[in-house]
Amino acid sequence: MRPERTSGFLLRLYPSGWRARYGEELETLILETSAGHVPWRVRADVALGAVRERLRGAGLAGDGTPAERMRGGTLLVLCAWAVFVVAGIGVQKFSEHWQAVTPSGSRALPAGAFDVLVVGAAIASALVVTGVAAVLPSLGRILQTGGRRQVRSLPVAVGLTLVAIPASVAVVVWAHGLTAAQRNGHDTAYATVTVLWALLLLGCLATWTVAGVVVARRLEISSRVLRLEAVLGAGVALSMVAMTAGTAIWWAALARSAPWFLAGAPNGTAASPLAPALLVTAILMLIATTAASAGAVRAFRAASDRPAR
Amino acid sequence: MRGVPIREKNPGKSGRSNDPPVLILTSLASGPKHGYALLQDIEAFARVRLGPGTLYGAIARLEERGLIEPVGASGRRRPYRLTAAGAEALEATLTELRAIVEEGTARLAGTGTPRVVTAGGLA
Repeated sequence: MRPERTSGFLLRLYPSGWRARYGEELETLILETSAGHVPWRVRADVALGAVRERLRGAGLAGDGTPAERMRGGTLLVLCAWAVFVVAGIGVQKFSEHWQAVTPSGSRALPAGAFDVLVVGAAIASALVVTGVAAVLPSLGRILQTGGRRQVRSLPVAVGLTLVAIPASVAVVVWAHGLTAAQRNGHDTAYATVTVLWALLLLGCLATWTVAGVVVARRLEISSRVLRLEAVLGAGVALSMVAMTAGTAIWWAALARSAPWFLAGAPNGTAASPLAPALLVTAILMLIATTAASAGAVRAFRAASDRPAR
Repeated sequence: MRGVPIREKNPGKSGRSNDPPVLILTSLASGPKHGYALLQDIEAFARVRLGPGTLYGAIARLEERGLIEPVGASGRRRPYRLTAAGAEALEATLTELRAIVEEGTARLAGTGTPRVVTAGGLA
């Protein structure tokens, strides 16, 4: 790819306001440091810079008062959790019926690792729900005092959820009337609807996360609640670390005892354990866990700086 | 008036000698420079090769805090220069770093040999 096209693509990753101010200069610098080809080191550096600017723009990173950094760090954990949920659903789908094809003498380690994943998901979900519940009084106050315009991102999320609930019921009812083979790709109509349903759920998760970030940035939250959110965020981040480790151990154990399951090959055959879908899911988990850890550390550092207002 | 170290203007940052803001302010202390000249100068005096994204992220933060400012009209190669606040912040940061250097040098001279930190403490 020509350096001009590469730099143009990289610049589009930045927020528009930032691009308007620094885009021309940064593009010139990228081209000046690239002789006919933009090095991968430069591409990675500029792409990471764009992520940092977007996080700053959303209030999830950068400087500010301790209260702002505590809030931003906790919201980064929330966003990372949303990404992790998508990856977790992928692992759940990928791992269906793994016990049935794994030799009984080799099940203890992967079973233990998988239990860590399930328990971690339950704990993190409970912590996220607690965190949301803790700011509900603030949300109630903003609605009572006529601040509906400040929470206008919520109706989109609510609307999608109202569509997703009956859609989920319909898909589950339909699935119960099908055979296992039909549910696993042999029924084209069901497979198509399932993909659309998954996209709908993904949209729900994304809109609720965006609405949560937008609304939480506008809420008046007391110092005590912010500190509680920082602690909850740390708990979520730790759960994600445990779940990522659990997934890695489960994967490694299956790669050793039942690689055919990971490759979707007949039982007992030699196969590569590096299943592309699982690899993508694991990378997504790792990115989300890293982001959550960064958010939790930021919130904790801010909490220890000085009393938040 | 004593300046505020970059670390205090930039909470959460360490203000280490190899931090991009410290390197940029140090480079601009000898006069205005545009992005490419900054990269070359920093590589020459600190042996640190900053990426374009890192450099412009730091330039944006420094400009936001009023520590540097662009010179002249906008363009593809816009030079930046230190503001008075930037010079004070750099001086304060260098004073802090100098104190650490002097302390480390004095301690090394006092013992004669470098001390090694082990799991149980100083060896």
